[in-house]
Amino acid sequence: MYNTKDKTHRLAWIIAVPLMLCLFLSGCGSVKKLEIFKQEVPRENLNLEKPTPLEMEKIKWHIITSENADEVFKKLEADGIDPVLFGLTDKDFEMLAKNFAKIRNQLKVQNDLIDQYKEYYESEEVKDE
Amino acid sequence: MIFGSMKMIMIGVMVAGLAGAGAYVYKLKADNATLKANQIKLESAVSEQKQLIENQKKDFDSILQANKDMNKLINVLKKDFEDLDKRFNKGNRDIGKVAIEKSKVIERIINKGGDNAARCLEIASGSPLTDKEKSATKKSEINQECPSIANPNYVQY
Repeated sequence: MYNTKDKTHRLAWIIAVPLMLCLFLSGCGSVKKLEIFKQEVPRENLNLEKPTPLEMEKIKWHIITSENADEVFKKLEADGIDPVLFGLTDKDFEMLAKNFAKIRNQLKVQNDLIDQYKEYYESEEVKDE
Repeated sequence: MIFGSMKMIMIGVMVAGLAGAGAYVYKLKADNATLKANQIKLESAVSEQKQLIENQKKDFDSILQANKDMNKLINVLKKDFEDLDKRFNKGNRDIGKVAIEKSKVIERIINKGGDNAARCLEIASGSPLTDKEKSATKKSEINQECPSIANPNYVQY
């Protein structure tokens, strides 16, 4: 049978060993610090100036028919303008008008597109972020 | 003697236990501090994510609006172009024959149209609208070549 000394000795080890084991094991595990990736610094705005709007020159059209041709040329001479005209038929004039309308529409769309991009990417709200 | 060594062992165990407990409490405190810091970071990250989602929503709205605006512009320009075509060919109209019959009148109309078309190009390239163009509401006041971009207050009737 165990005597009192052995009992105390055993009890001490029974308490001490699990206690130390617990301490050692809990010492191994620790809470890891979180790593948060920060947002990249955005690029600087391009800020290119928009081109100066067009200022068109005034053009005068002359209508020439077989009947008024002499009258038109005489008037040109009287006004000191070279009596020469670069002509278009009525159909060609129509095509020219339509071509101009197409160029105008394209110009307007491109111009508005640039405005939209500028507003989207370079608006004050975006800058503040 | 034996009892004395037992006592020493017991004291040693108790001291070790106390030291271990102290170290454990210290570690717990350090873990707690780390957890608090993590919590703050997480809350900040959640807040940033919410802000990001909010900004994304705004961006989507802006993209939708920009697309709507562009489609609207393309449609009104298309309408202007169709109107130009109608002016030349409305009801089997032959501009050439009309010009032979009424040279002076057509010359005046063509020159006015030419001036208007030139002004349309200026506006399309970014020239600001004049007060007269902005306030035009009647057909006689508008730029017939491109009312959609030259006269924003004109409503076709």
